[in-house]
Amino acid sequence: MKKIDIFKNGVTTENPILVQQVGMCATLAITTSLMNGIGMGVAVIAVLTGSNIVISALRKYIPDEVRIPAFVIIIAAFTTIIDLLMHAYTFELYKALGVFIPLIVVNCIILARAEAFAFDNNVLDSTIDGLGMGVGYLVAMILLSSIREILGNGTILGFRILPEAYEPMMMAIQPPGAFIILGLLIGFVNFLSRRKNA
Amino acid sequence: MKNSFVKLAGILFLIGAISAGVLAWLNDATKDLIAQNDAMASMDPAILEAVMPGSVMFNAYGDSALVEAVKSENDKVIDILTAVDASGNELGKVVRTLSTVKGFNGDMELYVGFTPEDKISGVSVIYHEETNGIGSKTTLPDYTDQYKGKDGSTEIGEKDVDAVTGATYSSKSFLSAVNNAVKVYSEHLK
Amino acid sequence: MELVSLFITSFIVNNIIFMQFLGTCPFLGVSKNIDTAAGMGIAVIFVITLASIITYIIHYGILVTLGLEYLQTIVFILIIAALVQFVEMFLKKSAPGLYQALGIFLPLITTNCAVLGVAINNIIYEYSFVKSLVYSVGTSSGFLLAIVLFAGVRDKVDYADLPESLKGSAISLITAGLMSVAFLGFSGLQL
Repeated sequence: MKKIDIFKNGVTTENPILVQQVGMCATLAITTSLMNGIGMGVAVIAVLTGSNIVISALRKYIPDEVRIPAFVIIIAAFTTIIDLLMHAYTFELYKALGVFIPLIVVNCIILARAEAFAFDNNVLDSTIDGLGMGVGYLVAMILLSSIREILGNGTILGFRILPEAYEPMMMAIQPPGAFIILGLLIGFVNFLSRRKNA
Repeated sequence: MKNSFVKLAGILFLIGAISAGVLAWLNDATKDLIAQNDAMASMDPAILEAVMPGSVMFNAYGDSALVEAVKSENDKVIDILTAVDASGNELGKVVRTLSTVKGFNGDMELYVGFTPEDKISGVSVIYHEETNGIGSKTTLPDYTDQYKGKDGSTEIGEKDVDAVTGATYSSKSFLSAVNNAVKVYSEHLK
Repeated sequence: MELVSLFITSFIVNNIIFMQFLGTCPFLGVSKNIDTAAGMGIAVIFVITLASIITYIIHYGILVTLGLEYLQTIVFILIIAALVQFVEMFLKKSAPGLYQALGIFLPLITTNCAVLGVAINNIIYEYSFVKSLVYSVGTSSGFLLAIVLFAGVRDKVDYADLPESLKGSAISLITAGLMSVAFLGFSGLQL
C-alpha cells in the first residue's frame, strides 16, 4: 500500500468513528465544545501514533502468546504519559476532559490498530497508519463537536457566531443530543458512501 | 518453537519495567507543575476574586518565621498569604483570621486582602455559624463591599461601616475579624 | 439513607450508558437479543464489582503507600484484563451456552470504558470502600437495565421501514438518544 493511501485510509475509508464505529464513549461525552473535541483528538493521535511506533519497533521481540498484554502495557504507558503532560501543561483542557484521558487506554481504536497493523508492519508505515487513524478520529470529533457547540451554545471555540437572540438547543449539549447527532452523522456518511458506490 | 512460560513472563515483565521507569521519570519531572495546578484548582475562584480581584491563587507568605511569630502572639490569626495573578506577580497580601469578638453563634473566619497601597482590597467569609437569613447576610456583597478601599493600616470604627440590620452581633464579630487582620497588617506586613 | 440514594443515583439518574456514555461499544453490539443482552449485563455487573474491589484495595494499599499513583492506569487495566480472563474461563466451564452467545464481546469487556471508568471514578470521588461497592453495583446494574431496555426496543426497530442509510448503527444511536431523553428526566431527582 502506498504511504499516502495508508494515511487516507484512516481518515476516510476506515474512519474509526464514522465508518468502523469504535471508541465511541469519549466521542459522545467530550464533544460538547470544539475545544474539547480538538483536545481529545490530539491526545488520541499522540497515544495512537506513539504506541503504533513502539509496538511496530518491538514486533519481532514480542512473542505472539503475550502480545495482547504487551500491547495493553505499552498503550497504558503512553496514555499515562499524555495524562501527566496534560495535567502539567494544559490544565484547563485536562479538567475539561477529566476521566476520559485515562480512558484513552480502552479506546478500541488503539488496540485494534496495534493488532491489525502495527504488529505486522514496519515502523514508518505504522507511524503513518497511527497518524491517519488519529486524524480521522480528530476530523470526526471536530465535526461532531462543532455541530453540538453551535447548536447547543451558539458559539464556536468560545466565539459567539449565532446571534444572541438564538435560543440554544440545550439538548445538543446534553447526552441525548450526542447520541442523536452522531447517529445522524453516521447515517449521512452511509448515504454518501452508498452514493459513491452506486 | 513454543516459548517457555518463564520467557513470556520475562518479556512482559521487561516491557512493564521499562514503561514504569519512563513513567517514574516523567512523573518526577512534572510533579511540581501538577501540584501547583491542583492547588490552584482547589481555591474557589469566587473567593479569590472577592478578596483580591485578578488573583488566581493564594501562596504561602515568603517569611514563614514571621508567620509563626504572628500566629503565636495572635491566636486568632490562622495564616498569612500572598495573592498572585496568572503571571505569578504578587498582587498583595492576605490575612486569614478568626473574629476576636464572638458573633451570635461563635467566631467567623475571614480572608482579608491588602493592596500594596495599604488599602483593603476585599474580604470574604470562609466559615461562620450565624443565623441563616439574618447574621449570614454579613457574607453578602452588600455588606462586604463596604470594606473595599478602606485604609488597611488603621482600626475601622463601628460607625465607619453600616451593620446588617437586625444582625448586630454578627456584624460586630465580622468587623472584629477585619480589624484583627488590619492589626496584623499594620504591625507586621506594611 | 445515603447509600440508597447513591445506588439510585448511579443506577438511574446518572445512568452509565444514557448519561455518562461509558460502555457504549458493547451496548450497541450485544443488544440485538434480550437474552444475550441480559447475559452480558450480568457478566458486566460481576466484572465491574470485582474489578472495583480489587483496584480499590490495590490503589490504596499499594499505589498510594508507595507513592506510585502514576502507575494507576497500567495497573488497573492489567487487573481488569486478568479478571476478564478468569471470567471467560469460568463461563466456558459453567455456562458454555452464554459463553458461545457472547462470543467476541466477552474478552471485549476488558476494553469496556465502564469497567475502567468505574474503577477510576471510585478513586476520584474518594469513596469509602462501602460506597465504592454501592456505586459499582448501582452503576453496573444501570448498564444491565440500559442494555436490556435497548434490546427490547431494537427488536421492534428491526421491523420498521427505514431509509437504507439509517439502518444499523445510525438508527441505534438515534434510538439510544431518544431513550436518553427519558433518563434525562430523572436528573432533577434529589434523594
